[in-house]
Amino acid sequence: MTQLITKADLLSWLFQLLKTHVIVAPTRIGETALFQRITAVEQITLDYSNAAISPKGWFFPPTETLFTVEKGDGQTHLLPARVIEDAVLFGIRPCDAQGIALMDRPFLQAPADIEYQRRRDQTILVGLSCSRPSSACFCTSVGSAPDDPANVDILLTQVEQGYLVQAVTDKGRALMSGSSSTESQISLPLVSCTTVISTDTLQKAAPQIFSDPYWDRLADRCLQCNLCAHVCPTCYCFDIRDYTDKGKIERVRTWESCQSRGFTRIAGGYDPRPTKGARLRQRFYHKLFYFPQEFGSLGCTGCGRCVRLCPVNIDIREVITAIQNLKRGVANG
Amino acid sequence: MTGQKDLADQIRQKTRELISTGAVSCAIGYERATDGVTSRPLFAYQSEDCDSFIFDQTCTHNLTRFLRDKRDAKKIAIVVKPCDARAINLLLLEKQLSRDKLFIIGVVCPGISQTSWEHRGQELQPRCQSCPTRVPPVYDFLVGDTAYTPSSSNQPYTEVDEMEAKTAKERSAFWSQQFSLCIRCYACRQICPACYCSECFVEQLDPLWVGIRIDPSTNQIWNLGRAFHLTGRCVSCDECHRACPVGIPLRLLNGRLVKEVLELFDFRAGESSEVTPPFATYKKDEKLGIGE
Repeated sequence: MTQLITKADLLSWLFQLLKTHVIVAPTRIGETALFQRITAVEQITLDYSNAAISPKGWFFPPTETLFTVEKGDGQTHLLPARVIEDAVLFGIRPCDAQGIALMDRPFLQAPADIEYQRRRDQTILVGLSCSRPSSACFCTSVGSAPDDPANVDILLTQVEQGYLVQAVTDKGRALMSGSSSTESQISLPLVSCTTVISTDTLQKAAPQIFSDPYWDRLADRCLQCNLCAHVCPTCYCFDIRDYTDKGKIERVRTWESCQSRGFTRIAGGYDPRPTKGARLRQRFYHKLFYFPQEFGSLGCTGCGRCVRLCPVNIDIREVITAIQNLKRGVANG
Repeated sequence: MTGQKDLADQIRQKTRELISTGAVSCAIGYERATDGVTSRPLFAYQSEDCDSFIFDQTCTHNLTRFLRDKRDAKKIAIVVKPCDARAINLLLLEKQLSRDKLFIIGVVCPGISQTSWEHRGQELQPRCQSCPTRVPPVYDFLVGDTAYTPSSSNQPYTEVDEMEAKTAKERSAFWSQQFSLCIRCYACRQICPACYCSECFVEQLDPLWVGIRIDPSTNQIWNLGRAFHLTGRCVSCDECHRACPVGIPLRLLNGRLVKEVLELFDFRAGESSEVTPPFATYKKDEKLGIGE
């Protein structure tokens, strides 16, 4: 038995929620869909495939002040932490919810990132199933699915009559109690991901082909930008800098990427990843081998953003297949 | 008009010959991307690699961007469109390349469609609609039919004029909103052949020109700073515009400065590898201020 809510009731429920919660939802700016903090329900777009950038930025912001220290009256003061507001992250796809669950592993591992934890505690995730997965998506090959309710508090599924509602957690049930959804006999539609790739021998193959010339060849066309890392739901490399101004010290953290030249350059000038190939290999190894070795799950959610947006078509699906083929001695493109 | 299959065949034949005779150690061109519709760069090192070269209206990349990563190579062959060849002239002028280490395969360009994942647009890109020529200004070997020269305007595109017609307040609001979307991925910089500084101004920490914050005002400094560093140098390939993951219309920004330089100095970047550009020129009787 599922619950059904009409589109109109959904929007008026969000309108009410906006009075008590921050709402971050997909919006359209020009032709680009992006998660933004909204000020009016009209700004939300439900007609979108997926946002260009994952919503990880709500929990791990592109720029964040970790703390501020002020010196005055001969004393040093730690300025009070930011107030974290109750929030609803609305309309996220199962792949992005999977991404947040994967980010929890490093960020909530003791000692936990305090502000990440507070945002996670105070944010309710309302997911939206995919009705039309993109050809670049491959979530079912990496442990998720277009209709996977696993990592959200509420999962909505679009049907002709409105949205089917699954309240997954107590948090979700509590939030839904303010809405006018009704019981429904409509069954959840079947939806499948169009691309399926095998990852059967990936864990065995990866350590064997670390030194293969494949990585340098692949990196020939890599631009060494930060695009793949910044749009990705699970990349979390960062840079930290202290800004000082008249006795005030602000420690700022921002998104960075292991793909940048000089990311691993250390004092003295040595760089353990001096070549493009070494840096490109690192991104794939982290996501496909080191992360699973450490945390037990693949670090990729199959959202397909890097595939759609990489300006030179470095395609992680192709790389996953190539790693396994190289181990088997099969020729690769 | 030379069919696109013919263009590809000619490129394959020539690159196979250059590699198998050892004339070049690497040939840079295009192959089909994994979506089966668009293209991506291909680096051929063996003769059989050349079989994958294609050329069609999805070949949008400015491959000259990769030349700076291949400075160790003895000699490289590269496939270029007119805009790409302008970048070669720019890089030769700025002493970033040696002419004798390049074998330039110029393509008489059919014009390039808008491309994104699985999508090949019906219309040509704006840069192609206002392209002054279909024939590259520099090449060693020409592929395609030079008799095919469709008419096109000689000016930067109309979108730049439309933006210019807005008030300063409107333009300021527009660009402020656009720059607030920037995530500082630097795809624009990395895809650009003219952005070759070994240390970009945005990475300098001492002095700290920009800083690491990803926020609207810092993003503004980044985007405007890069645009100004390209003034008189941008060849309007518009690849920065295509690369931006959040859709910032960079071709409007860089295109405006291209137009300014054209109007003030009657100069277009990349037409020659020898004419000294305006910002490297000192004349005793130069204009000293606005209105002089």
